[in-house]
Amino acid sequence: MTLVRHLAAAVALGVLLVIISVTITPFRDYQMAEVACYVVAVAGLTTLVGLSGQISLGNGAFMAIGAYAAALLLLHLHWNLAVVLVASAVAAAAGGAVVGVAAARLRGPYLAGATLMLAVALPSLALRFGVLGGDQGLTVVVTSPGFLGSAFPVTRWQAWLTCGCALIVLVLLANLARSRVGRSWRAAGDDEVAAALAGLNVARLRVLAFVVSAACAGLAGALLAVTTSIISPDAFTLTLSIALLTGAVLGGLGTLPGAVWGSLVLVLVPTYVTDTASSHGLSSSAGSNIPVAAYGVVLIVVMLAFPNGIQGGLRRLGRPLAARLPARGLPWRRDPAPQLHVPAGEHQEEGSI
Amino acid sequence: MEEFGQLTLGGISVGMIYAAIALSLVLIWRATRILNYAQGGMAMFTTYVALLVINHTGSYWAGFVVALAAGLVLGAVIERVVIRPVENKPPLNAIIITIGLLVFLEGLAGIIYGGQFRSFPAAFSIDGLHIGSAALGISANDVFVALAVLAAALLLGAGFRYTSAGLQMRAAAFSPPVARLLGVRVGRMLTLGWALAGLIGALAGVLVSPSTFLYPNSMDSIFVLGFTAAVIGGLDSPAGAVAGGLILGVALSYVGGYLGSDLVNLFGLAALVLVLMVRPSGLFSPAATRQV
Amino acid sequence: MSEPTALAVEEVVAGYGGVLALQSVSVTVRPATITAVLGANGAGKTTLLRAISGVVRPRQGRVLVGGQDVTGRSAEDMARGGVAHVPEGQGVIAELTVQENLRLGAFWRSGRATRAGALAEAYQRFPVLAGARNRAAGTLSGGERQMLVIARALMSRPRVLLLDEPSLGLAPKIVSQVMELTAGLRESGLTVLLVEQNARSALSIADQGIVLNLGKVVMAADAVTLAADVGLRKHYLGF
Repeated sequence: MTLVRHLAAAVALGVLLVIISVTITPFRDYQMAEVACYVVAVAGLTTLVGLSGQISLGNGAFMAIGAYAAALLLLHLHWNLAVVLVASAVAAAAGGAVVGVAAARLRGPYLAGATLMLAVALPSLALRFGVLGGDQGLTVVVTSPGFLGSAFPVTRWQAWLTCGCALIVLVLLANLARSRVGRSWRAAGDDEVAAALAGLNVARLRVLAFVVSAACAGLAGALLAVTTSIISPDAFTLTLSIALLTGAVLGGLGTLPGAVWGSLVLVLVPTYVTDTASSHGLSSSAGSNIPVAAYGVVLIVVMLAFPNGIQGGLRRLGRPLAARLPARGLPWRRDPAPQLHVPAGEHQEEGSI
Repeated sequence: MEEFGQLTLGGISVGMIYAAIALSLVLIWRATRILNYAQGGMAMFTTYVALLVINHTGSYWAGFVVALAAGLVLGAVIERVVIRPVENKPPLNAIIITIGLLVFLEGLAGIIYGGQFRSFPAAFSIDGLHIGSAALGISANDVFVALAVLAAALLLGAGFRYTSAGLQMRAAAFSPPVARLLGVRVGRMLTLGWALAGLIGALAGVLVSPSTFLYPNSMDSIFVLGFTAAVIGGLDSPAGAVAGGLILGVALSYVGGYLGSDLVNLFGLAALVLVLMVRPSGLFSPAATRQV
Repeated sequence: MSEPTALAVEEVVAGYGGVLALQSVSVTVRPATITAVLGANGAGKTTLLRAISGVVRPRQGRVLVGGQDVTGRSAEDMARGGVAHVPEGQGVIAELTVQENLRLGAFWRSGRATRAGALAEAYQRFPVLAGARNRAAGTLSGGERQMLVIARALMSRPRVLLLDEPSLGLAPKIVSQVMELTAGLRESGLTVLLVEQNARSALSIADQGIVLNLGKVVMAADAVTLAADVGLRKHYLGF
């Protein structure tokens, strides 16, 4: 059964991660936590773009919703952390529902433009309402829970928490991708007209995809709040939304292992690059802009040369191997190109205008 | 009443900037059916080049001309190198590539010029104009901005209508296969389209930077509002782009004046969503209904 | 010096993706003649024209125009080299005016006087178009559009004219007008390759014809022989 296979893989990975987190330095634990946060967000986005064929440049805004919700709930209502995480995901999911409904009829460039607008416009909301802390933002105090003992390092707790959530999200998304919903997403994404004729409610599927990806982003935002302790509008600029997209594209659109690869690159490479830059004497602003420029280069190069990203490359390498192994639990992207197939109507209007 | 007049005139001036961005987006959309998310980034970059020239030579107009030339070249190079491979692929590829281009240009600008806000000179006086004792709310420079964009739009329109190159470009945009059979070098026409769009974008960048200051992300919200203006006017209609820009500029000027300047972007978003839901083909597009 | 063959197609293999539409097709066409290309739908007729005009690149074989090897040249170069292709569906650019469509036929020709002369000649030959010159081409009737695209093709002063299904969608009276017009072009020295489903009309003006089936030439002969072959007519030509 797929669920059992996924759970087994998750448990095995979880044990491995626990072992790793105990042996590495606190800073590396912190990085592991960061990567896990991104995995949650990127996995949601790659499902939206790769499976349901809708592009969103605004998932950073959903992360912001989740982060601020978590911060407010922890600061003012002192809820239990688990409840806060779920509530943040729900809050972001509500946002996703609104956007999804508004965007249900939008395709391609219009959808991208509208979500781009969302990413640019939403952060200014934080400046409008004092309770959101203005441009200073909100601070969240994080301590490891009592049952782990008072000497337990906070960073390791953060790593465990985020990795645990990431594994849960990956299992859920993997099952979703294999389920009827996942197949319906693919069908609607590939050929809307055919899917509608086959009886699928395309609009509802599209909204659902947005809701799922927004929930993931919201959870990721909440986890980020718990990990970095400070939330401010600066953390949720357009660059974040684009970074998420870069991670999804680089890893391979629609693939969950790709979300992991992409997140690793997103977190580790900029740190490495900035360190190298400052050790070579580059100013800090130059150093912090190199990752941004690099995102751009990655997006362009991957789209031109390796449309299937890292995961696609690995698949090509591993094909002779995979032929011998039993089928793996995580969903592999079936068709070779993770491209958005335009519904038939959109192309023919060229001559009619 | 005076404030209303001032907001209206100010809105027209800003609206022409949105119109310029919208015009370049429409140009590229008609030619290649691609939405160029990097348009604002390209404009920002050419404005930095202009600033370099101005600081070096002390002449505003030298910088102005160089910016326009740089826009031409940048547009042509980008189409040839980065866009050509994805022109016939599914739209998602082009979307991701132009986003990548946007981010690359912003990062590059940050690396080369740094992230600090820089002031950019205006062509003419920015003192408010007066009729008698009544303040008009706009300056001589604002008038120049509006006239410059208007002139560019009219020149472009005339070029399309009356020149052989314009005819070829329109043919290549309306029906590439037939144009090919008639001997039109469609590839070159596409490059030309992108070059012209780069030129107009560069113009917009130079005209707006005095009021927004110049920094790597300075054209982000201008681009997004220009995109909104293009959608309002209809992505296929150059005249619609100008009209959309004016409408949006004036409307947002009222929002900023009466409700608060931090709400401008949010209202822009609302306007975009409204138009996309109610009349996605735009107000002036010849196509009645369109699957958007 | 007159060339023995205006157009020669030698064992051309061409197709789209995994499908071969032409499997080693050869045709020889003498100057100032009309050659009918006949056969059922999907036989490869349109692909043959495309292989000649450069829209489709032959995978094997050669195409020669006036004795010159032009295999693999782009469509734009072929258009400027004297091969005019009027595609299936006419290829009117609906958003442009009649005059603009016509001017597109000759924009690359050098000399303002030459271009103006070609336009004047087109209006003289096709008075209907002169009357509609500023109307959007999309507002023309089917027969007028066919006139427009033929006139547009003639603007480039071609040596070879490729016509793909000119009678499609037209009323019988208009069809005979178009056929008459095409026959008249032969008198001006033009070499015409005429793809037609309406084999009877095509053979009535053609000098020779070839019949394609599933990408192969099934028969090639002069028009009279083809029209008289009852078995051939029933099998491949539908009349």
